Amino acid sequence: MKAIATKLLLVAMFFTTANAAPAKGDDFNSVVKMIEQFYRVKHVGIPFLAKAGMKIGTTAARIKGGQARRIAEAGSIKLAVFEDQDFNGEIAKFRASLNDALTATWMPLIQTLSPQDEEQVYIFLKDAGEKINVLVITIEQRDATVVQVTLSPKNLALLLKDPEGTGKSITQEATINDQE
Amino acid sequence: MKTLFHINIRTALAALLLSLAPVLSAHAQQDSRIQMGALDHLAAKASQTVDVNIDERLMRLAARVFDDKDEDEREVKKLIANLKGVYVKSFEFETEGQYAAADIEPIRTQLRGPGWTRLVNVTSKKEGMLEVYLLFNGDVVGGLAVLHTDDKELTVVNIVGPVDVDKLARLEGQLGIPDLGIGSPKNKTKNDDEK
Repeated sequence: MKAIATKLLLVAMFFTTANAAPAKGDDFNSVVKMIEQFYRVKHVGIPFLAKAGMKIGTTAARIKGGQARRIAEAGSIKLAVFEDQDFNGEIAKFRASLNDALTATWMPLIQTLSPQDEEQVYIFLKDAGEKINVLVITIEQRDATVVQVTLSPKNLALLLKDPEGTGKSITQEATINDQE
Repeated sequence: MKTLFHINIRTALAALLLSLAPVLSAHAQQDSRIQMGALDHLAAKASQTVDVNIDERLMRLAARVFDDKDEDEREVKKLIANLKGVYVKSFEFETEGQYAAADIEPIRTQLRGPGWTRLVNVTSKKEGMLEVYLLFNGDVVGGLAVLHTDDKELTVVNIVGPVDVDKLARLEGQLGIPDLGIGSPKNKTKNDDEK
């Protein structure tokens, strides 16, 4: 009897885990994990990049400190970078998984897919009271970035007027050294 | 007892109406919302696919953040004030013949539905075919759809809610709406190739 109860508990736990939406809680980390699992890749932490003297690390640090802020609110940036890894195929499947995971809590604004070039850009928004959270996911053949920032109403207006252009600017702002 | 019975019936009816309100409201909105999911399979053949979804929540957000002091933003804010959504699906292909008329038929079927009127139909060898449809709820424009088909391109734009057609050009290039040269459409049907 005890064995049956244990098995039932395990089955129940399995289904609870299997049905749990990955986007609950910290969506940024969920998306990063989803990319890692789907494409079997690993993201590189910012401290590692900074140590290696790469642009991303220094710029992200500056944005965090507020010096290089243009679009993102100071200190609001979350960045995960995937470098020199394979992001091959199954764009439609990945897109479906991403939308399934995020659309309950995030609003999809624009999604651009280029299967031949294996490029994908997704921009999601989430209302955060006075401000708005923006999640920009960019996946290319060998690299990917996940950026989450908070925008002021003024910069949200920019994003809504030109979603594609401003979305690119958000990623560039997070990953390119503006002093170059 | 009778009074209590009547009160209960009234309460039940009120509750029923309240519970149906979101459904009825959603139904009214769906009238001008074009379902574009049937086009999704073209993404695999396309060199680029763009999907823009600005639903009612985002429209409300947009109306909140556009600045009245900025002339351009003020105009857009007025235009989108009562809109329920803007949806765009666009495909670009490397070569011709990647999609057939049958692929667009699910869209056309919806646009042949009650209330929809084709306002503009322009065909040109260079630019392809541009069709603008309006959904009329009585005398009021309840929504708009634009269908642009070219040898290597397919774009569907759907604006849900009351649209000021004369000021439509103001929205081109904004909110992810491509610049299709819709301008201020007037009742016309033109075929450049016949000239």
